[in-house]
Amino acid sequence: MPEIVVKYEDKVIERIVTEKKRISVGRTNDNDVVLENRGVSRKHAMIEFNDNAAVVIDNESLNGTFVNNRKISEEVLRDEDVITIGKYSLVYNSQTTRDQDGGTGFDGTMVLNTKAQKKLLENDSIERQIVEKYGGSVLLGMENSSFAEFRLEREVTTIGKAKFVHVQAKGFWLSGIQAKIIREEYGYSLVNLGKQGKTQVNGEPVNSAVLKNGDLITVGKTTFKFVEGKTP
Amino acid sequence: MKHALVSDIHGNLEALTAVLTDIEKHKVDFIHCLGDVVGYGPDPAACLKMIDRSCDTKLMGNHEFTALGLQSSSIFNNAARAAVKWTQMQLTDNDMAIMADFEMDRTLDNMYLVHASPLEPEQWHYVFNEEEAVAAFQNLKTEIGFMGHSHLPLIFSEGPGERIRSQAGHTFQVGDESRYLINVGSVGQPRDNDRRACYVVFDTDEGDVFYHRVEYDIDAAQQKMATAGLPEVLISRLAAGL
Repeated sequence: MPEIVVKYEDKVIERIVTEKKRISVGRTNDNDVVLENRGVSRKHAMIEFNDNAAVVIDNESLNGTFVNNRKISEEVLRDEDVITIGKYSLVYNSQTTRDQDGGTGFDGTMVLNTKAQKKLLENDSIERQIVEKYGGSVLLGMENSSFAEFRLEREVTTIGKAKFVHVQAKGFWLSGIQAKIIREEYGYSLVNLGKQGKTQVNGEPVNSAVLKNGDLITVGKTTFKFVEGKTP
Repeated sequence: MKHALVSDIHGNLEALTAVLTDIEKHKVDFIHCLGDVVGYGPDPAACLKMIDRSCDTKLMGNHEFTALGLQSSSIFNNAARAAVKWTQMQLTDNDMAIMADFEMDRTLDNMYLVHASPLEPEQWHYVFNEEEAVAAFQNLKTEIGFMGHSHLPLIFSEGPGERIRSQAGHTFQVGDESRYLINVGSVGQPRDNDRRACYVVFDTDEGDVFYHRVEYDIDAAQQKMATAGLPEVLISRLAAGL
Protein backbone atom coordinates (compact mmCIF):
# COMPACT_ATOMS: atom_id res chain seq x y z
CA MET A 1 0.00 0.00 0.00
CA PRO A 2 1.19 3.54 -0.68
CA GLU A 3 1.99 5.84 2.21
CA ILE A 4 2.33 9.54 2.87
CA VAL A 5 4.75 10.64 5.58
CA VAL A 6 3.81 14.06 6.98
CA LYS A 7 6.68 16.10 8.39
CA TYR A 8 6.83 19.44 10.10
CA GLU A 9 10.29 20.97 10.14
CA ASP A 10 11.90 17.55 9.68
CA LYS A 11 9.89 15.95 12.46
CA VAL A 12 7.69 13.10 11.34
CA ILE A 13 4.27 13.86 12.76
CA GLU A 14 2.06 11.44 10.92
CA ARG A 15 2.35 8.43 8.66
CA ILE A 16 -0.66 7.70 6.51
CA VAL A 17 -1.15 4.31 4.92
CA THR A 18 -4.49 4.23 3.17
CA GLU A 19 -6.73 2.05 1.03
CA LYS A 20 -8.69 5.08 -0.04
CA LYS A 21 -8.58 6.10 -3.65
CA ARG A 22 -8.32 9.76 -2.77
CA ILE A 23 -7.32 11.77 0.30
CA SER A 24 -7.88 15.44 0.93
CA VAL A 25 -5.28 17.75 2.45
CA GLY A 26 -6.14 21.08 4.13
CA ARG A 27 -6.41 23.22 7.23
CA THR A 28 -9.92 22.27 8.38
CA ASN A 29 -10.79 19.18 10.36
CA ASP A 30 -12.90 17.55 7.63
CA ASN A 31 -9.78 16.77 5.61
CA ASP A 32 -8.11 13.35 5.70
CA VAL A 33 -4.79 15.07 6.37
CA VAL A 34 -5.17 18.12 8.60
CA LEU A 35 -2.32 20.63 8.42
CA GLU A 36 -2.74 23.34 11.04
CA ASN A 37 -0.96 26.31 9.65
CA ARG A 38 -2.12 29.66 8.33
CA GLY A 39 -0.22 29.11 5.10
CA VAL A 40 -2.44 26.13 4.33
CA SER A 41 -5.82 26.63 2.61
CA ARG A 42 -8.99 25.05 4.00
CA LYS A 43 -9.13 22.60 1.07
CA HIS A 44 -5.59 22.81 -0.15
CA ALA A 45 -4.94 19.72 -2.27
CA MET A 46 -5.96 16.15 -3.13
CA ILE A 47 -3.86 13.07 -3.59
CA GLU A 48 -5.38 10.34 -5.78
CA PHE A 49 -4.14 6.77 -5.87
CA ASN A 50 -4.60 4.57 -8.89
CA ASP A 51 -3.18 1.03 -9.02
CA ASN A 52 0.54 1.78 -8.96
CA ALA A 53 0.36 5.51 -9.52
CA ALA A 54 -0.40 8.56 -7.41
CA VAL A 55 -1.27 12.10 -8.43
CA VAL A 56 -1.30 15.27 -6.36
CA ILE A 57 -3.76 17.97 -7.41
CA ASP A 58 -3.65 21.54 -6.11
CA ASN A 59 -7.10 23.02 -5.30
CA GLU A 60 -6.16 26.48 -6.53
CA SER A 61 -4.75 27.11 -3.08
CA LEU A 62 -3.58 30.59 -2.08
CA ASN A 63 0.02 29.66 -1.32
CA GLY A 64 0.35 26.80 -3.77
CA THR A 65 1.44 23.18 -3.70
CA PHE A 66 5.01 22.22 -4.55
CA VAL A 67 6.58 18.95 -5.60
CA ASN A 68 10.33 18.78 -5.10
CA ASN A 69 10.27 22.54 -4.71
CA ARG A 70 8.49 23.14 -8.03
CA LYS A 71 5.02 24.73 -7.99
CA ILE A 72 2.50 22.40 -9.58
CA SER A 73 -1.21 22.25 -10.34
CA GLU A 74 -1.25 18.53 -10.99
CA GLU A 75 1.69 16.15 -10.82
CA VAL A 76 2.26 12.39 -11.01
CA LEU A 77 4.24 11.32 -7.96
CA ARG A 78 7.34 9.15 -7.98
CA ASP A 79 8.83 7.37 -4.97
CA GLU A 80 10.21 9.74 -2.38
CA ASP A 81 8.80 12.85 -4.03
CA VAL A 82 8.36 15.64 -1.53
CA ILE A 83 5.13 17.64 -1.58
CA THR A 84 5.48 20.97 0.21
CA ILE A 85 2.37 22.67 1.61
CA GLY A 86 2.97 25.62 3.92
CA LYS A 87 5.58 24.54 6.46
CA TYR A 88 4.77 20.87 5.97
CA SER A 89 6.37 18.29 3.74
CA LEU A 90 4.52 15.18 2.62
CA VAL A 91 6.78 12.41 1.39
CA TYR A 92 5.20 9.91 -1.01
CA ASN A 93 6.20 6.26 -0.96
CA SER A 94 4.53 3.80 -3.33
CA GLN A 95 5.07 1.03 -0.77
CA THR A 96 4.92 1.20 3.01
CA THR A 97 8.47 1.73 4.24
CA ARG A 98 8.16 -0.12 7.53
CA ASP A 99 6.08 -2.53 9.57
CA GLN A 100 3.10 -1.14 11.38
CA ASP A 101 4.69 -1.48 14.80
CA GLY A 102 4.74 2.13 15.86
CA GLY A 103 7.83 3.61 17.42
CA THR A 104 10.47 5.21 15.32
CA GLY A 105 10.12 6.03 11.67
CA PHE A 106 12.32 5.02 8.79
CA ASP A 107 14.80 7.79 9.48
CA GLY A 108 14.90 7.24 13.22
CA THR A 109 12.80 10.29 14.02
CA MET A 110 9.85 10.09 16.32
CA VAL A 111 6.47 9.26 14.90
CA LEU A 112 3.75 11.10 16.73
CA ASN A 113 0.02 10.59 16.71
CA THR A 114 -2.39 13.39 15.90
CA LYS A 115 -2.71 14.44 19.54
CA ALA A 116 1.05 14.68 19.88
CA GLN A 117 1.15 16.57 16.61
CA LYS A 118 -1.27 19.18 17.91
CA LYS A 119 0.72 19.53 21.12
CA LEU A 120 3.92 19.89 19.14
CA LEU A 121 2.45 22.66 17.05
CA GLU A 122 0.99 24.45 20.05
CA ASN A 123 4.31 24.29 21.90
CA ASP A 124 6.18 25.36 18.83
CA SER A 125 4.07 28.46 18.50
CA ILE A 126 4.37 29.23 22.24
CA GLU A 127 8.15 28.83 22.09
CA ARG A 128 8.41 31.16 19.13
CA GLN A 129 6.34 33.78 20.93
CA ILE A 130 8.48 33.54 24.07
CA VAL A 131 11.75 33.85 22.21
CA GLU A 132 10.42 36.69 20.04
CA LYS A 133 9.23 38.55 23.12
CA TYR A 134 12.47 38.09 25.09
CA GLY A 135 15.11 37.67 22.40
CA GLY A 136 17.37 35.48 24.56
CA SER A 137 17.39 31.80 25.39
CA VAL A 138 14.95 30.31 27.90
CA LEU A 139 14.16 27.14 29.78
CA LEU A 140 10.56 25.99 29.56
CA GLY A 141 9.16 23.93 32.41
CA MET A 142 7.91 20.60 31.02
CA GLU A 143 7.58 18.25 34.02
CA ASN A 144 7.61 18.94 37.78
CA SER A 145 8.85 22.45 37.16
CA SER A 146 8.05 25.38 39.41
CA PHE A 147 7.91 27.75 36.45
CA ALA A 148 6.65 27.86 32.86
CA GLU A 149 9.50 29.96 31.54
CA PHE A 150 12.93 30.88 32.89
CA ARG A 151 15.20 33.35 31.14
CA LEU A 152 18.84 32.36 30.93
CA GLU A 153 20.21 35.83 31.51
CA ARG A 154 23.00 34.96 33.95
CA GLU A 155 26.49 33.83 33.06
CA VAL A 156 25.92 30.81 35.29
CA THR A 157 22.50 29.40 36.17
CA THR A 158 22.39 26.78 38.92
CA ILE A 159 19.88 23.90 38.99
CA GLY A 160 19.24 21.67 41.99
CA LYS A 161 17.19 21.10 45.08
CA ALA A 162 18.90 23.65 47.37
CA LYS A 163 16.87 26.72 48.24
CA PHE A 164 19.51 29.10 46.94
CA VAL A 165 19.83 27.78 43.37
CA HIS A 166 18.29 29.69 40.48
CA VAL A 167 16.25 26.80 39.09
CA GLN A 168 14.60 24.32 41.44
CA ALA A 169 14.51 20.65 40.53
CA LYS A 170 12.82 17.77 42.34
CA GLY A 171 14.18 14.37 43.32
CA PHE A 172 15.18 12.89 46.68
CA TRP A 173 18.72 11.88 45.66
CA LEU A 174 19.52 15.12 43.93
CA SER A 175 22.46 17.27 45.00
CA GLY A 176 21.85 20.78 46.32
CA ILE A 177 23.45 22.14 43.19
CA GLN A 178 23.03 19.33 40.71
CA ALA A 179 23.98 21.15 37.52
CA LYS A 180 24.85 24.49 36.01
CA ILE A 181 24.11 26.11 32.67
CA ILE A 182 26.93 28.34 31.45
CA ARG A 183 26.54 31.11 28.90
CA GLU A 184 29.47 30.79 26.53
CA GLU A 185 30.46 32.86 23.54
CA TYR A 186 28.96 30.31 21.17
CA GLY A 187 25.80 29.53 23.14
CA TYR A 188 25.00 27.54 26.26
CA SER A 189 26.44 24.45 27.85
CA LEU A 190 25.17 22.24 30.64
CA VAL A 191 27.54 20.76 33.25
CA ASN A 192 26.70 18.17 35.90
CA LEU A 193 28.15 19.10 39.31
CA GLY A 194 26.35 16.79 41.70
CA LYS A 195 25.76 13.05 41.82
CA GLN A 196 26.47 11.17 38.61
CA GLY A 197 23.65 10.27 36.24
CA LYS A 198 21.13 12.79 37.60
CA THR A 199 21.57 15.27 34.75
CA GLN A 200 20.29 14.13 31.38
CA VAL A 201 19.92 15.62 27.92
CA ASN A 202 17.26 13.98 25.76
CA GLY A 203 17.25 10.98 28.09
CA GLU A 204 21.02 10.41 28.13
CA PRO A 205 23.06 11.08 31.30
CA VAL A 206 25.74 13.71 30.65
CA ASN A 207 28.72 15.21 32.45
CA SER A 208 28.65 18.17 30.13
CA ALA A 209 26.90 19.00 26.88
CA VAL A 210 26.53 21.90 24.48
CA LEU A 211 22.82 22.70 24.36
CA LYS A 212 20.90 22.68 21.11
CA ASN A 213 17.53 24.26 20.48
CA GLY A 214 14.77 21.93 21.65
CA ASP A 215 16.99 19.81 23.93
CA LEU A 216 15.14 18.27 26.86
CA ILE A 217 17.12 18.72 30.08
CA THR A 218 16.12 16.39 32.91
CA VAL A 219 17.50 17.04 36.38
CA GLY A 220 16.18 14.43 38.81
CA LYS A 221 12.44 14.30 38.21
CA THR A 222 12.18 17.72 36.63
CA THR A 223 12.35 18.31 32.89
CA PHE A 224 12.98 21.55 31.05
CA LYS A 225 13.17 22.34 27.38
CA PHE A 226 15.99 24.55 26.17
CA VAL A 227 14.80 27.07 23.60
CA GLU A 228 17.55 29.01 21.96
CA GLY A 229 17.05 32.73 21.47
CA LYS A 230 18.50 35.00 18.85
CA THR A 231 21.37 36.18 21.03
CA PRO A 232 23.27 34.03 23.51
CA MET B 1 24.14 20.05 73.72
CA LYS B 2 27.69 20.80 72.62
CA HIS B 3 28.34 22.10 69.13
CA ALA B 4 31.81 22.38 67.57
CA LEU B 5 32.13 25.02 64.85
CA VAL B 6 34.95 24.90 62.31
CA SER B 7 35.51 27.14 59.30
CA ASP B 8 38.03 28.17 56.64
CA ILE B 9 40.06 24.98 56.52
CA HIS B 10 41.44 25.90 53.07
CA GLY B 11 42.94 22.56 52.15
CA ASN B 12 45.14 22.38 55.24
CA LEU B 13 44.86 18.71 56.19
CA GLU B 14 47.44 18.93 59.01
CA ALA B 15 45.43 21.68 60.72
CA LEU B 16 42.08 19.94 60.14
CA THR B 17 43.33 16.61 61.49
CA ALA B 18 44.70 18.31 64.61
CA VAL B 19 41.42 20.17 65.17
CA LEU B 20 39.20 17.10 64.73
CA THR B 21 41.42 15.20 67.19
CA ASP B 22 41.11 18.07 69.67
CA ILE B 23 37.32 18.18 69.21
CA GLU B 24 37.12 14.51 70.25
CA LYS B 25 38.35 15.50 73.73
CA HIS B 26 35.38 17.79 74.25
CA LYS B 27 32.74 15.12 73.58
CA VAL B 28 30.63 17.34 71.35
CA ASP B 29 27.23 16.27 69.98
CA PHE B 30 27.56 18.00 66.62
CA ILE B 31 30.29 19.34 64.36
CA HIS B 32 29.32 22.12 61.97
CA CYS B 33 31.55 23.25 59.12
CA LEU B 34 30.97 26.85 58.03
CA GLY B 35 32.62 26.60 54.62
CA ASP B 36 35.84 27.25 52.67
CA VAL B 37 37.12 23.70 53.02
CA VAL B 38 39.15 24.20 49.82
CA GLY B 39 41.34 26.94 48.35
CA TYR B 40 44.91 28.03 49.25
CA GLY B 41 46.09 24.74 50.78
CA PRO B 42 47.62 21.56 49.33
CA ASP B 43 44.96 18.97 50.28
CA PRO B 44 41.55 20.16 49.10
CA ALA B 45 40.23 16.70 48.16
CA ALA B 46 41.32 15.00 51.39
CA CYS B 47 39.87 17.84 53.48
CA LEU B 48 36.56 17.63 51.60
CA LYS B 49 36.29 13.91 52.29
CA MET B 50 37.19 14.35 55.96
CA ILE B 51 34.66 17.15 56.45
CA ASP B 52 32.01 15.18 54.56
CA ARG B 53 32.52 12.19 56.89
CA SER B 54 32.80 13.99 60.21
CA CYS B 55 30.50 17.02 60.06
CA ASP B 56 26.76 17.26 60.68
CA THR B 57 26.48 20.58 58.86
CA LYS B 58 28.42 21.41 55.72
CA LEU B 59 28.04 24.97 54.51
CA MET B 60 29.08 26.52 51.24
CA GLY B 61 31.95 29.01 51.26
CA ASN B 62 32.97 31.38 48.50
CA HIS B 63 35.92 29.09 47.67
CA GLU B 64 33.56 26.14 47.10
CA PHE B 65 31.35 28.39 44.98
CA THR B 66 34.34 29.42 42.88
CA ALA B 67 35.74 25.87 42.61
CA LEU B 68 32.30 24.75 41.33
CA GLY B 69 32.59 27.44 38.67
CA LEU B 70 29.56 29.36 39.93
CA GLN B 71 31.33 32.68 40.16
CA SER B 72 34.35 34.19 38.51
CA SER B 73 37.70 33.99 40.28
CA SER B 74 38.51 37.51 39.06
CA ILE B 75 37.37 38.91 42.43
CA PHE B 76 40.32 37.16 44.11
CA ASN B 77 43.87 38.52 44.31
CA ASN B 78 46.59 36.90 42.17
CA ALA B 79 47.78 34.37 44.74
CA ALA B 80 44.24 33.30 45.60
CA ARG B 81 43.33 33.02 41.93
CA ALA B 82 46.35 30.82 41.26
CA ALA B 83 45.27 28.65 44.21
CA VAL B 84 41.70 28.44 42.85
CA LYS B 85 42.96 27.13 39.50
CA TRP B 86 45.31 24.68 41.19
CA THR B 87 42.50 23.51 43.49
CA GLN B 88 40.08 22.93 40.59
CA MET B 89 42.64 20.66 38.94
CA GLN B 90 42.94 18.52 42.09
CA LEU B 91 39.23 17.86 42.42
CA THR B 92 37.47 14.87 40.87
CA ASP B 93 33.81 14.71 39.87
CA ASN B 94 33.11 13.05 43.22
CA ASP B 95 34.80 15.90 45.10
CA MET B 96 32.69 18.34 43.10
CA ALA B 97 29.58 16.37 44.05
CA ILE B 98 30.49 16.65 47.75
CA MET B 99 30.69 20.45 47.44
CA ALA B 100 27.52 20.57 45.34
CA ASP B 101 25.62 19.31 48.39
CA PHE B 102 26.85 22.03 50.76
CA GLU B 103 24.09 24.26 52.14
CA MET B 104 24.13 28.05 52.03
CA ASP B 105 23.08 28.48 55.64
CA ARG B 106 21.32 26.63 58.43
CA THR B 107 19.13 27.47 61.40
CA LEU B 108 19.17 25.12 64.41
CA ASP B 109 16.78 26.24 67.16
CA ASN B 110 18.17 29.62 68.22
CA MET B 111 21.45 29.22 66.31
CA TYR B 112 22.12 30.47 62.80
CA LEU B 113 25.09 29.14 60.82
CA VAL B 114 26.51 30.82 57.73
CA HIS B 115 29.88 31.30 56.02
CA ALA B 116 29.91 35.09 55.54
CA SER B 117 27.57 37.85 56.71
CA PRO B 118 23.92 36.86 57.30
CA LEU B 119 23.21 39.75 54.92
CA GLU B 120 22.81 38.07 51.50
CA PRO B 121 24.83 34.90 52.30
CA GLU B 122 25.67 34.14 48.66
CA GLN B 123 27.15 37.62 48.21
CA TRP B 124 29.87 36.77 50.76
CA HIS B 125 29.96 40.11 52.57
CA TYR B 126 32.64 40.49 55.25
CA VAL B 127 31.92 41.57 58.81
CA PHE B 128 35.14 43.22 60.00
CA ASN B 129 33.74 45.99 62.21
CA GLU B 130 30.69 47.30 64.08
CA GLU B 131 29.52 49.22 61.04
CA GLU B 132 29.39 46.10 58.87
CA ALA B 133 27.77 44.24 61.75
CA VAL B 134 24.68 46.48 61.65
CA ALA B 135 23.28 44.99 58.44
CA ALA B 136 24.46 41.56 59.55
CA PHE B 137 22.44 41.79 62.77
CA GLN B 138 19.40 43.07 60.85
CA ASN B 139 19.47 39.84 58.87
CA LEU B 140 20.20 37.58 61.84
CA LYS B 141 16.87 36.04 62.87
CA THR B 142 18.15 34.08 65.86
CA GLU B 143 19.76 34.97 69.18
CA ILE B 144 23.17 33.72 68.18
CA GLY B 145 24.87 33.40 64.82
CA PHE B 146 28.16 31.76 63.88
CA MET B 147 30.17 32.65 60.79
CA GLY B 148 33.67 32.46 59.29
CA HIS B 149 35.06 34.04 56.10
CA SER B 150 37.36 36.79 57.51
CA HIS B 151 39.61 34.30 59.38
CA LEU B 152 39.44 36.68 62.38
CA PRO B 153 38.03 35.33 65.66
CA LEU B 154 35.67 38.15 66.61
CA ILE B 155 32.62 38.47 68.83
CA PHE B 156 29.96 41.00 67.85
CA SER B 157 27.26 41.59 70.47
CA GLU B 158 24.15 43.72 70.56
CA GLY B 159 22.48 44.41 73.91
CA PRO B 160 19.02 45.99 74.30
CA GLY B 161 19.28 49.70 73.54
CA GLU B 162 23.06 49.41 73.13
CA ARG B 163 25.39 49.94 70.19
CA ILE B 164 26.95 46.90 68.60
CA ARG B 165 30.30 46.01 70.22
CA SER B 166 33.12 43.92 68.79
CA GLN B 167 35.75 42.08 70.79
CA ALA B 168 38.58 39.71 69.93
CA GLY B 169 37.48 36.11 70.24
CA HIS B 170 37.69 34.78 73.79
CA THR B 171 35.87 32.25 75.94
CA PHE B 172 32.75 33.79 77.49
CA GLN B 173 29.18 33.12 78.55
CA VAL B 174 26.30 34.52 76.50
CA GLY B 175 23.95 36.93 78.32
CA ASP B 176 20.17 36.52 78.27
CA GLU B 177 19.44 39.96 76.93
CA SER B 178 22.01 40.15 74.12
CA ARG B 179 22.33 38.84 70.62
CA TYR B 180 25.64 37.59 69.23
CA LEU B 181 27.34 37.14 65.90
CA ILE B 182 30.47 35.11 66.41
CA ASN B 183 33.30 34.57 63.96
CA VAL B 184 34.81 31.20 64.77
CA GLY B 185 38.19 32.00 63.19
CA SER B 186 40.06 29.81 60.74
CA VAL B 187 41.31 26.24 61.03
CA GLY B 188 43.72 26.28 58.10
CA GLN B 189 44.88 29.87 57.68
CA PRO B 190 44.48 32.00 60.85
CA ARG B 191 45.02 35.73 60.31
CA ASP B 192 45.00 37.12 63.87
CA ASN B 193 48.75 36.87 64.46
CA ASP B 194 48.29 33.49 66.11
CA ARG B 195 49.46 30.68 63.88
CA ARG B 196 47.54 27.97 65.76
CA ALA B 197 44.38 26.52 64.23
CA CYS B 198 41.21 28.09 65.64
CA TYR B 199 37.72 26.70 66.29
CA VAL B 200 34.80 27.19 68.69
CA VAL B 201 32.69 24.95 70.92
CA PHE B 202 29.27 26.24 71.96
CA ASP B 203 27.59 24.59 74.95
CA THR B 204 23.89 25.42 74.66
CA ASP B 205 23.07 24.15 78.20
CA GLU B 206 25.46 26.53 79.94
CA GLY B 207 25.53 29.21 77.25
CA ASP B 208 29.32 28.96 77.11
CA VAL B 209 31.33 29.84 74.02
CA PHE B 210 34.85 28.39 74.07
CA TYR B 211 37.57 29.46 71.66
CA HIS B 212 40.18 26.74 71.19
CA ARG B 213 43.63 27.08 69.61
CA VAL B 214 45.48 24.00 68.43
CA GLU B 215 49.13 23.55 67.43
CA TYR B 216 49.63 21.55 64.25
CA ASP B 217 52.53 20.57 61.98
CA ILE B 218 52.89 23.80 60.01
CA ASP B 219 56.22 22.68 58.49
CA ALA B 220 54.57 19.65 56.91
CA ALA B 221 51.75 21.77 55.47
CA GLN B 222 54.23 24.32 54.09
CA GLN B 223 56.39 21.58 52.60
CA LYS B 224 53.41 20.16 50.71
CA MET B 225 52.46 23.62 49.44
CA ALA B 226 55.97 24.19 48.13
CA THR B 227 55.97 20.81 46.40
CA ALA B 228 52.63 21.64 44.81
CA GLY B 229 54.05 24.94 43.57
CA LEU B 230 51.50 27.09 45.40
CA PRO B 231 52.33 30.82 45.71
CA GLU B 232 55.04 31.69 48.26
CA VAL B 233 52.90 34.34 49.94
CA LEU B 234 50.34 31.68 50.88
CA ILE B 235 53.06 29.42 52.28
CA SER B 236 54.78 32.01 54.47
CA ARG B 237 51.60 33.44 55.99
CA LEU B 238 50.81 30.12 57.76
CA ALA B 239 53.87 30.47 60.03
CA ALA B 240 53.07 34.10 60.79
CA GLY B 241 49.34 33.58 61.33
CA LEU B 242 48.30 36.43 59.07
